[in-house]
Amino acid sequence: MSCGDPHETDCSEVLAEVWLYLDHECECERRELLRQHLDECSPCLARYGLEEQLKELLARKCGGDHAPEALRRRLRARIRTVMLEQTEVTVDRDEDGTTVEVRMRSTDLHEV
Amino acid sequence: MPGTPASLNSDADERTAAERNAVERSAAERSAAERTDANHTDANHTDANHTDGDHTAGDRTDGNRTPGTAVTAESQQERGARFERDAMPLLDQLYAAALRMTRNPADAEDLVQETFLKAYAAFDSFREGTNLKAWLYRILTNTYINGYRRRQRQPIQQPTEDITDWQLAEAAEHTSTGLRSAEMDALDRLPDSDVKEALGRLPEDFRMAVYLADVEGFAYREIADIMGTPIGTVMSRLHRGRRQLRDLLTDTARERGLLRGESDVEVTS
Repeated sequence: MSCGDPHETDCSEVLAEVWLYLDHECECERRELLRQHLDECSPCLARYGLEEQLKELLARKCGGDHAPEALRRRLRARIRTVMLEQTEVTVDRDEDGTTVEVRMRSTDLHEV
Repeated sequence: MPGTPASLNSDADERTAAERNAVERSAAERSAAERTDANHTDANHTDANHTDGDHTAGDRTDGNRTPGTAVTAESQQERGARFERDAMPLLDQLYAAALRMTRNPADAEDLVQETFLKAYAAFDSFREGTNLKAWLYRILTNTYINGYRRRQRQPIQQPTEDITDWQLAEAAEHTSTGLRSAEMDALDRLPDSDVKEALGRLPEDFRMAVYLADVEGFAYREIADIMGTPIGTVMSRLHRGRRQLRDLLTDTARERGLLRGESDVEVTS
């Protein structure tokens, strides 16, 4: 796989880290070394290019599903119901003054 | 989260009582009227806090005079509006991820609905300015692991031990099994449904790591938080998942007649 030329960073090191490079998970300094190697070494660059294509292919082909409108509507309705159910307010008046108590009602999300 | 609100309330009652005692002890010099005022302000604050967090700041200072109901209702609305504005636009993305996790639309809908209802219930605890998408993904993943996975009765498909020397293995493999451009072109011509199906055939942990990194673009650190694993585990899952996925895609391309045969693939670039 090596182009045979001597490099500051060995080809095997570069290939081992090709995903880290692609995922932008290398330290800046390391990234610069790898980039320099890819500029000099066409087999490594070709390998990098293919892995990059695979990553892009996954991004392009595996996302983009749309939630059904019915789910969106149902969810909004459930949240509105929860909003209304959630709050329980009691107001007590006695000789000491007024006590306002706000409680969260226990709502079992799994039931409905 | 059944039962949680009730226990919060009993905590609140205890704390209110404790605070009341503390106030009474430390405020001996104050008049009885002032002391009563302080008690009620504390009570309001403590109880209201469980529903509305910081929004009740106004309530805290003039609890006796302001009707608590109006403030609370408005805060509920504010929370609803904030949720609608910030969380609801992520519904499509979370649904897509749920589809990849559960591998069927009915379960994906249930999972996303449960996730969003939990998120709404806990929206107070979400700190604005932090990554909402990652927060929602964490709830999604936990909900899935604690409920759906068990219900689907999927066996744990593969042990997910850390492989510390995978980078060395990776480097060694490339001489024989590196991806070639003819192969890549074939994969590119596969329909989306084939690629999604191949992803669906990966062991669950690998599948999610690959999805979160390559489709959602999360950083390793974020994936580690979402999946509740160390970063090394994320890297190992990603690495192995990508390798397996590539093999599965190549097989599919061959089945579809997009790659002619083993011998074509073996020509090195």
